[in-house]
Amino acid sequence: MNTSVEKANAVTAKLQRSTAFASRKARLIPDEPTTKIRPPGFWEGIDLAEFWAYREVLYFLVWRDLKVRYKQTILGAGWVILQPVLMTAVFAVFLGRLIRVPSDGVPYPLFAYSGLLLWTFFSNGILSSCYSLVTNAHMITRIYFSRMLIPTATVGVRVFDLVIAAALLVALMVYYHVPLSLSLMLLPLLVIQIATLVLAVGIMAAALNVRYRDVGTLAPILLQVWMFASPLVYSSSIVPAHLHLLYSVNPLVGIIDGFRAALFNLPFPWTGVALSALVTFSLLIFSIHLFRKLESSFADDI
Amino acid sequence: MKPVIKVKSLGKKFILGERETVAPTLREALKNSLKRKAHSIIGQNGGQPPTVWALKDVSFEIHPGEFVGIVGLNGAGKSTLLRILARITRPTTGWADLYGSTGTLLGVGTGFHPDLTGRENIYLNGAILGMNQAEIARKFDEIVAFAQIENFLDTPAKRYSSGMYLRLGFAIAAHLEPDILLLDEVLTMADAAFQVRCHRKMKHASLEGTAVLFVSHNLNSVRTLCDRAFHIQAGQLQHEGPPESVIADYLKFAAGDSIDSRNL
Repeated sequence: MNTSVEKANAVTAKLQRSTAFASRKARLIPDEPTTKIRPPGFWEGIDLAEFWAYREVLYFLVWRDLKVRYKQTILGAGWVILQPVLMTAVFAVFLGRLIRVPSDGVPYPLFAYSGLLLWTFFSNGILSSCYSLVTNAHMITRIYFSRMLIPTATVGVRVFDLVIAAALLVALMVYYHVPLSLSLMLLPLLVIQIATLVLAVGIMAAALNVRYRDVGTLAPILLQVWMFASPLVYSSSIVPAHLHLLYSVNPLVGIIDGFRAALFNLPFPWTGVALSALVTFSLLIFSIHLFRKLESSFADDI
Repeated sequence: MKPVIKVKSLGKKFILGERETVAPTLREALKNSLKRKAHSIIGQNGGQPPTVWALKDVSFEIHPGEFVGIVGLNGAGKSTLLRILARITRPTTGWADLYGSTGTLLGVGTGFHPDLTGRENIYLNGAILGMNQAEIARKFDEIVAFAQIENFLDTPAKRYSSGMYLRLGFAIAAHLEPDILLLDEVLTMADAAFQVRCHRKMKHASLEGTAVLFVSHNLNSVRTLCDRAFHIQAGQLQHEGPPESVIADYLKFAAGDSIDSRNL
């Protein structure tokens, strides 16, 4: 045993003896417990108060991700635009020029970019959220805070990316002389809707990926299928009318159609958007339930 | 005086095998469930996977300002208890109520983000503890001085040495003045000088009203620092009381245990 430690211990022991236990400063102890620790139950619900209390942590997590990303890349924000731009270029040549896919009277590059912009947000949001818990394992096993903040923060980062990539959309709209219309006011609502959808799918994938890493491998494949099941590079008008309701069960259909209708002042697809909102909301409730259920064993599984 | 920690019949069961290490793949999960089904048909093991109670029927209360040491052999359940109180993992049975904010230092990492600088990690940890920016700013200089990382404040934590990691982790957990401080064998890696300062700081915090729960294999520090001690053995609270008698009990048990294993 080290002598200096021993000496210090002797000092503190003396200190201890000279201080009666009762004379220690009394702190204000709340009547109700601040933290109740219980075995996991069936319905965990979402603790909105706790989520709100941790809002600064959410801000930190978003800010940290943005900072790290822009610090160690040369292109920085450029990467965010590059992905939808490259995809738009490829589809504009093959589908727009060569195959001449109908695009509701909108110039094809603009049509494709408006869809692929949302798609980039959707797919990156889900993927980064899917891997978020596993990559933050060192925090999950060491310190407690509302776990749902981690995937939520990654979606927050992607919203930031979406806003940057939207700058090019504005530029394209100016270039193609798209007139301004009142329907543009619907855009923020549609962005909230797609962000909610990303969150719903993202937290589900994140929670499942903690226990089954297969989910992380499966996610990009499923997203590939989802991409072609959504009206990104083609117009949903090519889907036969009697299948349209079935097609619109894919919540992205209503959102993408609504987004384009709002941008280009086309007739607004209320039914599709409403159906999408219903699916999105149900999915969110289900995902939160699943997340809360699996959350209790994250630290044991990770 | 009202307690800040109330623990009643706390228990934690682990399933052995399939889930003790990393998450299995879906295929393994299917295989395991098939295996379990096969076992249940044969009647082996009652169809249930083997389990172990890492913690069983533990009850106690801790008052503000109390300094409690926890001793026990490796694998006795000390860390599991702290991990439950820190809300890292959930209990299987029983309950615990905490009254006030909780600072935790479980292992050296303390939930730092490796890409954030020391400065940013202080703010992040403060936010997790429920403090606002102004409160953290007030404690900031004290934390930095205690951790002795003045020159590395703007270096990402991933470039810190393990000593710096430990110093900063301890400084944050202890200086943010939580009502409850949970420390799990963190000082085993600290050098003598830092240990001395940590002991003083913990004692000071406890005198200021913080309840300290401290897992340690250093019996000397348990003896000199703690008001009370717990001896945990095989997941159960074997003995509690004044540090001196608990340590005696623990040593007697440890000696018996080592004789047993020699006879094997």
